[in-house]
Amino acid sequence: MESSALARFEAIVLPHLDAAYTLARYLTRNAHDAEDIVQDACLRALKYFDGFRGDERTSARAWLLTIVRNTAYTSRRHHREEKGATEFDETQHSDAVADEHPEAALLRTDARELLGRALERLAPEFREVIVLRELEGLSYKEISDVTGVPIGTVMSRLSRARARLQEALS
Amino acid sequence: MTHPNFEAQLDAYLDGELAAGDARELEAHLAQCPACTRFRDRRLALRAAIVTGVQTFQAPAALRERVRAAARGTPRFTVRSLWRPLALAASLAVVALGSWTLALQRAAGEALADDVLTSHIRSLMPGHLTDVLSSDQHTVKPWFNGRLDFSPPVYDFAGRGYPLLGGRIDYVGGRPVATLVYARRQHVINVFIWPATRGPNGGPSMRTLQGYHELHWTTGDYTYWVVSDLGLAELQDFAQLLRQA
Repeated sequence: MESSALARFEAIVLPHLDAAYTLARYLTRNAHDAEDIVQDACLRALKYFDGFRGDERTSARAWLLTIVRNTAYTSRRHHREEKGATEFDETQHSDAVADEHPEAALLRTDARELLGRALERLAPEFREVIVLRELEGLSYKEISDVTGVPIGTVMSRLSRARARLQEALS
Repeated sequence: MTHPNFEAQLDAYLDGELAAGDARELEAHLAQCPACTRFRDRRLALRAAIVTGVQTFQAPAALRERVRAAARGTPRFTVRSLWRPLALAASLAVVALGSWTLALQRAAGEALADDVLTSHIRSLMPGHLTDVLSSDQHTVKPWFNGRLDFSPPVYDFAGRGYPLLGGRIDYVGGRPVATLVYARRQHVINVFIWPATRGPNGGPSMRTLQGYHELHWTTGDYTYWVVSDLGLAELQDFAQLLRQA
C-alpha cells in the first residue's frame, strides 16, 4: 500500500478496531475466533479501501462493522458456534471473563452476568442490533446499512430484543 | 397512537430517533397513560443496566499490530516479536511522564476535579448510580427537596439522545451536592451541581484523566461539573444543551 493510502487507512479504519473487536466478540462469543474475524475483516477492508468514500451517509465505523459482520456470518466457525447457541459452554464463558479489564472485574456482579448471558443467548439477529445500538452507538440508518434490513425492521428488532432482555432480568 | 405500536415508538424516542412531531405526540400520550409511563421507566431501568453491566472490549494490542503490519505489507512475525518490548517500554515511559505532569499541576482545583472523578467512578459500581430512578424531571427535581438546601435545575434531554436516568446526592469537596445522571448509548454522564456561592469555582475548564473527560463551568447561580467516558465532542454537545436549558 502506498504511504498516503496507508496513512488514510490508519487514520480512518484503525480508530474503530475496538468497535470491530467488540462486535466480533458478541457475534462469535469467543476471544480467539473474534481476533481471527477482525483480522480477516481488516484484510478485506484493506483490499476494498480504495473504493471507500467516507461521507455523512456511510461512516467508517459502519463500513468496517459491515465487513466484520459479513466476515463473521460467512466463517465456518460462526456456524459451528451458532448451533450451540443456547448451551452454556464453560470454556467459552471462562475465556470471556479471563481477559476482562481489572476495573471491569470489579464491577462484575450477578446482575451483570445475568444480563451478559441473556445477551449471548439472544438469537443473532437480536443480539447484533443490541450490540450495534447500545455498545457501538450506531444510528438506526447505520444499523440498517450494516445489517442490510430496512430501518423499520431495525426498529422492531431492537424493541423485541430489549423486551427479551427485560424478561431475562425480571 | 396505538399501543401495539407504542413499544417500538418509545424505544425510537429514547434512542433520539423519533421525528419531532411523533415525539411530541408520544410525550402527550405518556402524560396521560400510567401504563405506558411504567413501561418507559422499565426501559430506562434496562438501559441503566446495559450501560453499567454490558462490557465492550478492547482489541488486543497484538491484533492491532498485525492489522497495521498487514497494511504496511510487513511480514507479521518480525513486527510482532519486535513490537512487544518496544510497546512495554513506551507505555512505561508514558506512565512516568503522566504522573510527573500531574504532580506539577496539582492545585486546589485539581483536588476538586479528583473528588468529582472519584464520585463518578464510584457511581458506576452496581447499585450506586441513582438514588431516585426516573426519567421525569418533575419527579427528580422535587426528590432533592428536603435532602439539599437548594433546588437544582433538572431537565430531560431524551428527545436529543441524552435521556435522564435519575439523580442522587454525593459529597464533593466536603459538602452534599446534587448529581443528575444521563445516558448516551452505553455511556453514563454524571452532572454535579451546587450553588456557585459556595466553595472554589474558577473559570471554565476541561481535563481528561484515566479516559474520563471532565468539563466544568459556573453560571450566576450554579457550579457545574460534567464527567463521562463519552467522546469529548459529544460531551461538549451535551454540555451545550445543559447551558442552553
